[in-house]
Amino acid sequence: MRSVLKHSILAGVAAVALAAGGAHAQDYPAQPITVVVPFAAGGPTDTVARLVAQVMSEDLGQQVLVQNVGGAGGTLGAGQVAAAANDGYTLLLHHIGMSTAPSLYADLPYDAIEDFEPIGLITEVPMTIVARADFEPETLEDLIAYIQENGENITYANAGIGAASQLCGLLIMDALGVQMTEVPYQGTGPAMTDLLGGQIDMMCDQTTNTTTQIQAGEIKAYAVTSPERLDNLPDVPTTAEGGLNLEVGIWHGLYAPAGTDPAIIERLTASLQTALANETVATRFAELGTTPVTEGQATPEALADTLSSQIDLWAEVIAAAGVSAQ
Amino acid sequence: MDLIASLGLGFSVALDPVNIFYCFLGVLLGTLVGVLPGIGPTATIAMLLPITFTLSPATALIMLAGIYYGAQYGGSTTAILINLPGESSSAVTAIDGYQMARQGRAGPALATAALGSFFAGTVATLLLAYFAPPLARAALNFGAPEYFSLIVLGLLVSIALAHGSILKALAMIVVGLLLGMVGQDIYTGQPRFTFGFRELFGGLNFVSVAVGVFGVAEILRNLENEKTREVMVKTVKNLWLTKDDFRRIVGPVVRGTAIGSLLGVLPGGGHILSSFASYSAEKRLSKHPEEFGKGAIEGVAGPESANNAAAQASFIPLMTLGIPAHPVMALMVGAFILQGITPGPNVINEQPALFWGIIASMWIGNILLVVLNLPLIGLWVKMLTIPYRILFPAIVMFACIGCYSINQNIFDVYAIAIFGLLGYLLIRFGCEPAPLLLGFVLGPLLEEHLRRAMIISRGDPMIFLERPISATLLGFAVLAVVIAVLPSIRKKRDQVFVEED
Amino acid sequence: MTISASRKDLASAAMFLAIGSYFTLEALNYDIGTPFRMGPGFMPVALGGVLIVLGLIVALTAFRGPDTDEPTPFPWRGLVLILGTIVFFGATIRGLGFIPVVFLSALATAFSSRANNPIAAVIIAVSLCALCLLIFVVGLGLLVPWFGPWLRF
Repeated sequence: MRSVLKHSILAGVAAVALAAGGAHAQDYPAQPITVVVPFAAGGPTDTVARLVAQVMSEDLGQQVLVQNVGGAGGTLGAGQVAAAANDGYTLLLHHIGMSTAPSLYADLPYDAIEDFEPIGLITEVPMTIVARADFEPETLEDLIAYIQENGENITYANAGIGAASQLCGLLIMDALGVQMTEVPYQGTGPAMTDLLGGQIDMMCDQTTNTTTQIQAGEIKAYAVTSPERLDNLPDVPTTAEGGLNLEVGIWHGLYAPAGTDPAIIERLTASLQTALANETVATRFAELGTTPVTEGQATPEALADTLSSQIDLWAEVIAAAGVSAQ
Repeated sequence: MDLIASLGLGFSVALDPVNIFYCFLGVLLGTLVGVLPGIGPTATIAMLLPITFTLSPATALIMLAGIYYGAQYGGSTTAILINLPGESSSAVTAIDGYQMARQGRAGPALATAALGSFFAGTVATLLLAYFAPPLARAALNFGAPEYFSLIVLGLLVSIALAHGSILKALAMIVVGLLLGMVGQDIYTGQPRFTFGFRELFGGLNFVSVAVGVFGVAEILRNLENEKTREVMVKTVKNLWLTKDDFRRIVGPVVRGTAIGSLLGVLPGGGHILSSFASYSAEKRLSKHPEEFGKGAIEGVAGPESANNAAAQASFIPLMTLGIPAHPVMALMVGAFILQGITPGPNVINEQPALFWGIIASMWIGNILLVVLNLPLIGLWVKMLTIPYRILFPAIVMFACIGCYSINQNIFDVYAIAIFGLLGYLLIRFGCEPAPLLLGFVLGPLLEEHLRRAMIISRGDPMIFLERPISATLLGFAVLAVVIAVLPSIRKKRDQVFVEED
Repeated sequence: MTISASRKDLASAAMFLAIGSYFTLEALNYDIGTPFRMGPGFMPVALGGVLIVLGLIVALTAFRGPDTDEPTPFPWRGLVLILGTIVFFGATIRGLGFIPVVFLSALATAFSSRANNPIAAVIIAVSLCALCLLIFVVGLGLLVPWFGPWLRF
């Protein structure tokens, strides 16, 4: 009953959105563009969005506004964009969660592939495997041995179901074939607090949140999950160097609702590429511990490939771990 | 670098005319937006954040900090004038502040809030300057068990919020705790009490609940008997504090500042407790506890000071450890990062001018806030002379738009209606909404910390007694109950003696 | 019906019992878990139980004596119009757009007071509409269409 009601509302919204669509590509953009970020303002994804939006505004000659529609692990905001008018004035900037939601949520109100037109990849933020300052293991090799030995006695902090910090933890446990005791938090901020206070043993989180703490020696860093070492953490080895078979990064992509005029998509892709080539954006990204993707990556094709391969990858990992958000 | 030199550096940054201008602009905008019903500091900052992008880092952050206390102060103004709190701390101010306004004492109530906030802000800024790093370190000793015990203590102490039946107040706290459980469980992802609506996965919005049970319920109550009762304010007596008022607020302001400074340093929810704790303390210490809830000026002075001290103190974990203590601070982290600065242990060493500049500007911001708001009191009080039949449609509209603008979630708007009805019914039945709100904000924290503590201890509840801080806090909680129950025991004993005579 | 009990207390007790029962029964569908890993059902079941007990005690205390004050009249007009308006606002803000929704909502709310005649209500609605548009959409940049997609053809 409830879901019938919900679906009929959604259908109504979609019908209205279609009726209102059909903007002309030649005079695009004729009004401000809204980029929906499906997370709270001030978070790392929001930061990425605002940096890129600023330059895109200049390039497009229209304001690009960031709108935060948080909730339900990013699925609320994504659902809203999926149902929005496909006139190029409502876009979605989402991260890796775009590819994990289909496996985590049983009845998503949208299809991550069918309901969106990819515009391009933006950046891939690497993650770091970190622990409290007085945690016993010294190197990544020590850590692997330690985890295999102590398993469930190790407390592993994450930011809740479907968060990148949880996914990274799943990959570690999967790679080592051992369970640790997961301790969920309301976001990685509070988790970092407890890590700093030595209340908890380990965590894996994006460099955005961990770099300053690592540099200040407040926490121990064992590895970065990128293929190469990072410029601002030169002493931290990659997972591959330490023999840990996992690579994961929080990739961000820009999407438009399905059926958006290809000419508009092309214009947006070009604008995104301009933004990523911008020096300020590159500098700020570097401070976040990341780099903009190359021009070849900031394309609809690259984003489509990444999205579909990541959806498959996470479907497997998440099914194996038996995780579900409902 | 010694403190004097550091503060000197800070003031040289903060006193830069450009920075003073933006600080003032921030305080002004913050006050004006914060005054809009239904919009608390979080929403205000989120909306005004983009304005600061084009400024230099120090200027931008100084302006944002200004917006923050401006918004906080503006929120208290709305709570006092029309009983519409925009966040949990001003919900406490609304209890007695609104009653003062109804008695024609809105002026003194607003002045008390301004003066209390200024004093608290000054002290907390000094505290930040002297003790920030060690305090932040000390706060890290608080883990899940300690927070759980602290919240239990807070809940038990806060029964004093009630001015009627203690039993009903307890029940209202539990109702609030239960309402706080709505939404997705962070441990398992299980959606709870959501009726299948994804929009409710994030839980009920605090502003919707507060605006409903306080604001809308109050409007409905005022519409009960329009013909016979003049609803709004009686004649405004005076705008400024009397000598007697001054005498009465000194103690609450000082104690509130102390409570707020201590709790505000704790990143895991201490600031939420500060104004509730201060209110409870004042009510217990007062010689006239029966005046509380009926317009006691102490009930405004204490919580307002505590709230502002806590707001300032919550910059400590942010600036020294990079830990956001609450949503507003999380927004500040975003602002720092957008400016190319990642808040954390290094800021104080790598960017001393920025660090000390912000601290110095907090004090200047507090001065500007007082300078700005004392003259505004007359204007705010004038607003109350607008006939109620015009004022309340405006309140309803502002509340709807305000709540909608926070997350663009229409369920936040529906929630106003549901909680308006619930709040109205409960008031009719002689139950008060303040304990419900306290339960609502603390419910999720209580559950989260309890479950986390049990995971860390692998299911052993002794963890709450084995850890010294936690055990001490629980000891205080037991003491609070004993003190609360003692008078009634004594009364009974007295009665026994009377009968024996 | 005359009972020698406080109607207020009985009514609040009924409300506590209703809320407590709903949360407890619903939470019984969730996993209670173990002390080590408490499930999502643990806290709501425990708290719901506490609320039911408190509700029963409140009900008992009701029999100490009836209320002393007269019940006030129920503001039916205000209840229906104000609560209805808020729901209407939520349901249509995305579809109809800012101006029509705020105008209609303000109009209906103004009517919930008997002190407002139709002309006054229209004046209030128009001025509120302009004021809100200025503050929220122009001033604060709230992202909402002035006229929504339902009105665009």
